[in-house]
Amino acid sequence: MNDAALSKLIHDVNSKCASLKSAAALLRGADEKERAEFLKLMKEQARSLLEALDGCA
Amino acid sequence: MKKLSILLVEDDPLARKVLETELKGHALQSAADAAAGLAKINTGKFDLVFLDLDLGAKDPLAGLRLIAPAASAGAYTVIMSGHDEEEIVSRAYELGCHDFYSKGSETESVAQVLTRFDRHRALPEDEQVFTNRFVTQDPATQTAIAEALKFAASDLPILILGPSGTGKTMLARVLHERSGRKGPFVAVNCAAYQEDLLEAELFGYRKGAFTGADDSRRGRLLEADGGTLFLDEIGSMSLAMQTKLLKAIEEKIFYPLGSDKPEGSSFRVVSATLEDLPELVRAGKLRFDFFQRIHGLTVTLRALRERPDDALPLIAHFMRAGGRRVIFADDAKARLRAHGWPGNVRELKRLVELLAAGAEGMVTAATLGRYLGEARAKAPAAEEDPALTESQYRKAVSQGLSAAVDGLVDAAIARCLAENGGKKTKALKTLKISTRMLYASLERTGKKSP
Repeated sequence: MNDAALSKLIHDVNSKCASLKSAAALLRGADEKERAEFLKLMKEQARSLLEALDGCA
Repeated sequence: MKKLSILLVEDDPLARKVLETELKGHALQSAADAAAGLAKINTGKFDLVFLDLDLGAKDPLAGLRLIAPAASAGAYTVIMSGHDEEEIVSRAYELGCHDFYSKGSETESVAQVLTRFDRHRALPEDEQVFTNRFVTQDPATQTAIAEALKFAASDLPILILGPSGTGKTMLARVLHERSGRKGPFVAVNCAAYQEDLLEAELFGYRKGAFTGADDSRRGRLLEADGGTLFLDEIGSMSLAMQTKLLKAIEEKIFYPLGSDKPEGSSFRVVSATLEDLPELVRAGKLRFDFFQRIHGLTVTLRALRERPDDALPLIAHFMRAGGRRVIFADDAKARLRAHGWPGNVRELKRLVELLAAGAEGMVTAATLGRYLGEARAKAPAAEEDPALTESQYRKAVSQGLSAAVDGLVDAAIARCLAENGGKKTKALKTLKISTRMLYASLERTGKKSP
């Protein structure tokens, strides 16, 4: 893995994890509908994080 | 809080949803890419614009290009990032953004950004510019500065209180810039002179007024005509000197040493001290009428330890000013906030210099400790006597004071000559020195013409 690819991976992991952390913090105060929407987006984010890691393996 | 008009430009759907939730209750519009964001900025009117710095892989820094349009449209522009890339954040501030929001941070919240926006909005436009320059998020300091600025254009004397290194001189200079006065800003550190020398410095003298007065010289009071006379460390002035200065301030007329011809000068007095002036009055060291004359409005600048949230923005400011880059780990940021800063902003600037010269990569709390120790060790010398640098003092101790003073004289004359194409008359005038002093220096340094 070259430097540019590594930088991109680090950047992606940081950004995606930041959103996941913020979303997790809001789950408790969300109503059912909103919580479902958050969970859907969080799963998509997690999948995209996995894809980013897979692409570098 | 009043319902605000907010634009959110964020390509990450989850991050967008998080912010939409946190900003619920406000009139919110969202854009998922830079082009859509720019279109909304150009057609809408927003109180706040939140811009993600990373708007997709194709153009990772597209967010930067939206800063100028958003800020110039009058919006409080906030950049967001999941990671503090100091260099990019610095660039964002240069482009005119107002605030930074760290996504995913456990210590920062959107509510804090909205509070800062509220404070920013509460200030008149020119004061917003000033507080950006002064770099403070502390409400008490912002209020003190705003209050002082209200009186910038008046003739009211202003007394600035605060510990050493809190920006008293800078505030005095800004007050002068905002005063509309055509004359110059003339600063005198009263603690840097013995009594007779201070009198000569302030009032000037005629040739032959005292031993060594080989030429006549204009005093600082005359130089400040039409401008501002900034008297730093005013608490160190003797009672006799206070009497003479009080008369000059009240009558706007004074006599240079050795002269019976009065000089007139109209200046506004801004003074500063770290001492407790009412206490000096009680102790009989400060004349009450002199105190009354200089403290028309009193402004107090707080020590940095009393406004710990200013440490990081100040460091970022000085790093930007010097074109430097250092990244702090979270534990280092916490350490900076908790630091006592005995030397205030002066110590912080010293830390920035040390970090810029020695730090590489990310600075952790462990590596920061060493730099804080060095900065603290250097700061007290500067705090005790800003007129004397540490290296000057060391030279005076090792070579004797006379040799050290000669060294300083030689260096100043050599530099002045170099800057003026070797013209001696120009050096004499610029440095206000006698021909004897100039030639003695040239002889010492072996530059005297045969």
